[in-house]
Amino acid sequence: MKGHQVITEWLAGKELQPFQFQQEAWEAYLQGKSGLVNAPTGFGKTFSLFLGAVIAWIDAHPKDYQKKKKNGLQLMWITPLRALAKDIARAMSEVLDELGIPWQVGIRSGDTSTATRAAQKKQMPEILLITPESMHILLAQRDYPAHFQHLHTVVADEWHELIGTKRGVLVELALSRLRGLAIQENRPPLKVWGISATIGNLDEAMQVLLGPYHNDGIIIKALLRKKIALTSVIPTEMENYPWAGHLGLKMLPQAIPIIKESQTTLLFTNTRSQSEIWYQSLLTHCPELAGAIALHHGSMDMELRVWVEEALHNGILKVVVCTASLDLGVDFRPVDTVIQVGSPKGVARFLQRAGRSGHQPDAVSKIYFLPTHALELVEAAALKAAMEQELIESRMPVLLAWDVLLQYLMTLAVSDGFHATDIWEEVRKTYCYQHITPEDWQWLLAFLTTGGEALSGYDEFKKVERSGNYYRCTSRVLAMRHRLHIGTIVSDVMMKVKFLSGGYVGVIEEGFISRLQPGESFTLAGRNLEFVMTKDMTALVRKSTSKKTIVPSWQGGRIPLSSNLGKMLRQKFNEALSRRTKDPELIALQPLFQLQEDLSHVPKDDELLIEHIDTKDGYHLFCFPFEGRLVHEVMAALLAYRISRIQPITFSIAMNDYGFELLSDQPIPVTAENAKALLSLENLNTELQASVNSTEMARRKFRDIAVIAGLIFQGYPGKSKANRHLQASSSLIFNVFRDYDPHNLLLQQAFNEAFFYQMEEARLRETLERIAISKIVITRPERLTPFCFPIKVDSLRDTMTSEKLEDRIKKLIAANA
Amino acid sequence: MTGEIFVYQSQHWHLLPERAIYWQEEQALIISDLHLGKATHFRKAGIAVPTGIVEEDLLRLQRLITRLQPTQIIIVGDMFHSRENSEVQYFKIWRQQFPHIIFHLVVGNHDIMPAEIYGNLQITTSPHLTIRDIHFIHEPCEDANGYTYTFSGHLHPGYVMAGPAKQRLRLPCFYFGRHCGILPAFGDFTGMASVDASPGEAVFVIAGQSVVRAQ
Repeated sequence: MKGHQVITEWLAGKELQPFQFQQEAWEAYLQGKSGLVNAPTGFGKTFSLFLGAVIAWIDAHPKDYQKKKKNGLQLMWITPLRALAKDIARAMSEVLDELGIPWQVGIRSGDTSTATRAAQKKQMPEILLITPESMHILLAQRDYPAHFQHLHTVVADEWHELIGTKRGVLVELALSRLRGLAIQENRPPLKVWGISATIGNLDEAMQVLLGPYHNDGIIIKALLRKKIALTSVIPTEMENYPWAGHLGLKMLPQAIPIIKESQTTLLFTNTRSQSEIWYQSLLTHCPELAGAIALHHGSMDMELRVWVEEALHNGILKVVVCTASLDLGVDFRPVDTVIQVGSPKGVARFLQRAGRSGHQPDAVSKIYFLPTHALELVEAAALKAAMEQELIESRMPVLLAWDVLLQYLMTLAVSDGFHATDIWEEVRKTYCYQHITPEDWQWLLAFLTTGGEALSGYDEFKKVERSGNYYRCTSRVLAMRHRLHIGTIVSDVMMKVKFLSGGYVGVIEEGFISRLQPGESFTLAGRNLEFVMTKDMTALVRKSTSKKTIVPSWQGGRIPLSSNLGKMLRQKFNEALSRRTKDPELIALQPLFQLQEDLSHVPKDDELLIEHIDTKDGYHLFCFPFEGRLVHEVMAALLAYRISRIQPITFSIAMNDYGFELLSDQPIPVTAENAKALLSLENLNTELQASVNSTEMARRKFRDIAVIAGLIFQGYPGKSKANRHLQASSSLIFNVFRDYDPHNLLLQQAFNEAFFYQMEEARLRETLERIAISKIVITRPERLTPFCFPIKVDSLRDTMTSEKLEDRIKKLIAANA
Repeated sequence: MTGEIFVYQSQHWHLLPERAIYWQEEQALIISDLHLGKATHFRKAGIAVPTGIVEEDLLRLQRLITRLQPTQIIIVGDMFHSRENSEVQYFKIWRQQFPHIIFHLVVGNHDIMPAEIYGNLQITTSPHLTIRDIHFIHEPCEDANGYTYTFSGHLHPGYVMAGPAKQRLRLPCFYFGRHCGILPAFGDFTGMASVDASPGEAVFVIAGQSVVRAQ
């Protein structure tokens, strides 16, 4: 056919040959199939589908494909990051120009100007690059179906990033509507493709995208492997290297030569606060880097981030200190080195970051690992082994996210309104909502129309109106508020930070600002700022000259160890004390392991270590399953609950990725005799419910849910007092749901999320099964061991109690007296 | 009577776990920050918080009244959350059970309804109130203001108790500062703000059904 010929000739003219997977993708695409392309970055995955669509277009219009203009939206390209959209648009436009095809390539994201939006409304470009949120903003417009009359293909790029998140659910829902529109308008079925890096569950990833009722999808794999060279930087003073910590600043002198010897380095940290600190410290140590160093993280002003990205492209920068915000596939050619400070906690994320350097197909990706505390070196050894064995994590898809569905239904209600029976059919065919029941659906509709209550004379609830089967929001105020609200699938109530004199710095968690006193200084986006006051949900600041500033710790920065890496880690401990190991990391750690062995024990992978240690803080019990912080949090709560049924006792609980700690003011009755029973699978479900209910997990999960479902009024500037009266914290709303509406689906969702995501219930089960056939080793070390030390000094805390509230208070009072 | 009788400034203050103070010498019930109408205010704006909160709050108040038989009720501000809505009507009907009891409202920053509505509800309002040289004003004062003592609300105080083994607990509290005492919020749909008490100041926390002196 003509299209194939045009493209092959064009490529030949550039002395290029398509990769095999690209040809396969074109073929499948031309057959009208849907599916998933699996290829590493830097190998032209974009072209596998984009050129497919171009070939199809040339085939359909062999004579006038270079003339036809204003063809309407043909191809929608979903990207998870705004920064990616620009890059891809540029590449696509270049190709179209060279081929003489007069298609427009447009971008639609939160940054798109009003003028561009208006122009798009009149005439959609043939290709639209769009974020999941912006897709929903389109669906919130009057007459939205008109935009999609010619749409035949949707591509979800970097699908591995979206699956397993609520943004992925946004994509599923938007696709369900677009498929429904095609059916209503008697168009051929929509072609849907994903592009994904390798993850453990590619088949499932495709199912999520195509829906559980689609059975003709095809996975096209590029059999190409990126070459990665991982080097652990071993602390020069290994004996004195700290046992705990998460900043890794001690390694800074060893990072500087790497930066100096490279063209451009990306230095990845795991949290935003850590990136701020590293940025400042690098500047202090190497003032000559000024102008060639930049910071990039999710709380910074968009413009500044875009500038950093452009500068990276152009090779102006020597080093960029960044967080997950630069994980994704933008092609920064000048980057030849990546430094990872602290464990990335997962194989997939590490591969992704390594791939940021040496972006060309044949280049080797160089990545250096800098440990933030001694034991973390084992993680580097484990990562290396996991990479060799391609043990890449799965991303579990989100199920029954009622908050997102409520937001979506409201979106449809503010645009053209919706017929409940049509939308029900579309929604229940998505992967996320395949198990929705008619009762759930009725509850959701009622939540939008009557606020979840039977209509009563007194109630004044107002949101969506119902006439028969048709639902619509007629309030302009509510509609406007909802449109502003779409896309706030962010985890926290974030506050803007602005200079008194004007000028936007970035965003910060409300909770952080609320703890600041006027006059105190903090660091954001690499600047020292003095907090002046808050006004209209904005924190006003001025430049600070203070030497002492607080670096905000953003919530949720810490990612738990993945189960693949945990498994590898336990195997590495096996090797640790054997004299046979070849891993430089393990060799460097020999003295530390010897000390652990002398004081307590180094567990083999068929053992579980428990340490009892008494200090002036109280009685500690440390337990080391090496299963990641989340599983440990739950195991700790479960164990605490089970012990607390033996006797009234209160625990403070702490955990990290290696293990957890129970701390009490009384001796903890865990012995070799009862340990197995205390960690058994028996009655797991009911006892988990009981132990989790008494923690704050569900409440934490509810924060996101309340924001997404529109229960948190985020306000807009310059409005009246009555609007301020609409502010309430998610925690307060959680309380009133719990006390007055316990059957609320959003509340149940919070508990389910806590169960499945926060508690990783499935992984917990596997862990307990493993422990059941393991040997439990209980030691009573004289002092803190290298293993338990990081948990004690550097971890997150929680409480678990079986004592009566009144009794606890009396004890607290007695202790304070 | 449960709770704790605190003798202070030569008066008997019954600190009640229902989040109210009964002033024995004046036979007055003192409460603060009811935020009546808050749930409905949210619901009118499309935010589906549950109904039934106002009923529970007023039932609790009703039980206190029938048990203690006060002659007057002093509300130290933020009795109503925002503009008039159906919960105000609900309160009006509820109010008719106690026509003989005086309701004094010391106006708070949330009390923005027009004066005649308070009149219709048989609530007397004033920016502050003084009885036996005890002063009532919504927002807490930091310095001495010349009165024997002052009671305020506004803050919704909670007290953090820390103990051995890094235990931590936050509970609503009655806080008696040097010059000014702060009442816990009476309404259930209200948050909490932690107070730091200086040495020598009294703090009583509400622990379930009892009131316990924490400091």
